[in-house]
Amino acid sequence: MKCEHCDIIERKNASEIIYEDNEVIVAIKDLVLTPGQITIFPKEHFTILELVPDHILEKCVSIANKVSIAIFDSLGCQGTNFLVQNGLGAGQIVPHFSIEIIPRIENDNLDLRWDTKPLPEDEMETIVMTLEKTLLEMDQEKLTEKAVQDKPTSEKPGINKLDADAAKEKNKDNYLLKSIRKTP
Amino acid sequence: MAPELTEEQRKELEEKLKQMSPEELKEFQKKQCIFCQIISGKVPSQKIYEDNKVLVILDINPAAKGHLLILPKEHYSIQPQIPDKEQGHLFSIAKNMSHLLLKGLKVSGTSLFAANGLVAGQKAQHFILHLLPRKEGDDILKVSEKLIEKEMRDKIYSLVASKFNEVMGGKKKTVVPLKGPKLISEEKPKALDDSIITDSEVTDSAVSVINNPIPESIIAFAKEKQTKPKTKAKLKKSAEKQTQSEKKASLDDIANLFK
Repeated sequence: MKCEHCDIIERKNASEIIYEDNEVIVAIKDLVLTPGQITIFPKEHFTILELVPDHILEKCVSIANKVSIAIFDSLGCQGTNFLVQNGLGAGQIVPHFSIEIIPRIENDNLDLRWDTKPLPEDEMETIVMTLEKTLLEMDQEKLTEKAVQDKPTSEKPGINKLDADAAKEKNKDNYLLKSIRKTP
Repeated sequence: MAPELTEEQRKELEEKLKQMSPEELKEFQKKQCIFCQIISGKVPSQKIYEDNKVLVILDINPAAKGHLLILPKEHYSIQPQIPDKEQGHLFSIAKNMSHLLLKGLKVSGTSLFAANGLVAGQKAQHFILHLLPRKEGDDILKVSEKLIEKEMRDKIYSLVASKFNEVMGGKKKTVVPLKGPKLISEEKPKALDDSIITDSEVTDSAVSVINNPIPESIIAFAKEKQTKPKTKAKLKKSAEKQTQSEKKASLDDIANLFK
């Protein structure tokens, strides 16, 4: 295996792995932004966020929260950052989706920020329109796909409940639908 | 919250907050929180997606065009307060939004970022998940990784591991042996005793995971990543490939956002 995260799973080094179950692993890597950074990733080799199934993603973020709590207490940090670098453009180095939890203290010289620039109203509207159009196109593709095959989905019951809630809401007329209708 | 509070005023406020009933407290937070006001519609925003749990809006001070804020409608100050199921839903939306940015804005990556606590750069009282469209060479989150010494890693391990297991609900017995005896077993196999069961369980599951067929698209991407160095054009190409490779997997999810 050439993937560094799969390597971690495979070599089972006791000083690297904090936790593992059948789906998720929590590890301390030796390449980090700051000492104390903890990495959470699914055991299965998913390259990017978009490929991770919902139930595994839910488990990863739930464990990420527990890591946050644990390092608050054990490393005495005053804050944590949650970071996913998704895709080459984002600087993702290992081709295996992961969540980084980064401990923060005052004056730690970690520059996890960005410069902001107010966006003019018209440009904001252009972006909203572009995204809505894309969503529509995606739905079209989905409809075509669905006609070809009825894909079975195995999702967690919890998610289904949320979906059901969301579906109820949708009946009331979803915001997206409304806004899409008003787009010329 | 009012920006300039003296120590005394802050204490007074804290005292007041302590005495409020949960309902009063919720009301108070909502009044103070700009994002709660955006969610309730009192403050206008450019909405990208909304359901009964989550709202996605455009950041009015973006790092890049298409910078999205993913907000739980419920007022949570920090991420660990969010219940698992709700967070699962939030990230499922985040995943779909990321896909949307990759596709709609033709960016070659996205970053998910959240700050818990002032020192981490948290600016609002309401938990926010930032979704940033990314391009090669942009000026966002310019951080570089460093190698840490083994001693340092061991120290962190000893500090974090037991606490984490405690947070996980005292699963120490089933979790710690997973990696503990593995090392020992190489040297003195007899030291395994009661942890043998869990150890082999994990070995089995790890083997089964490794034996799983990996989708071709992923292999292709991984291969591409291995070949170094790359020219910019090549990087772009592989980024495009990546966008394509994920298209199939999450199309359903994306479209599920609205029916």
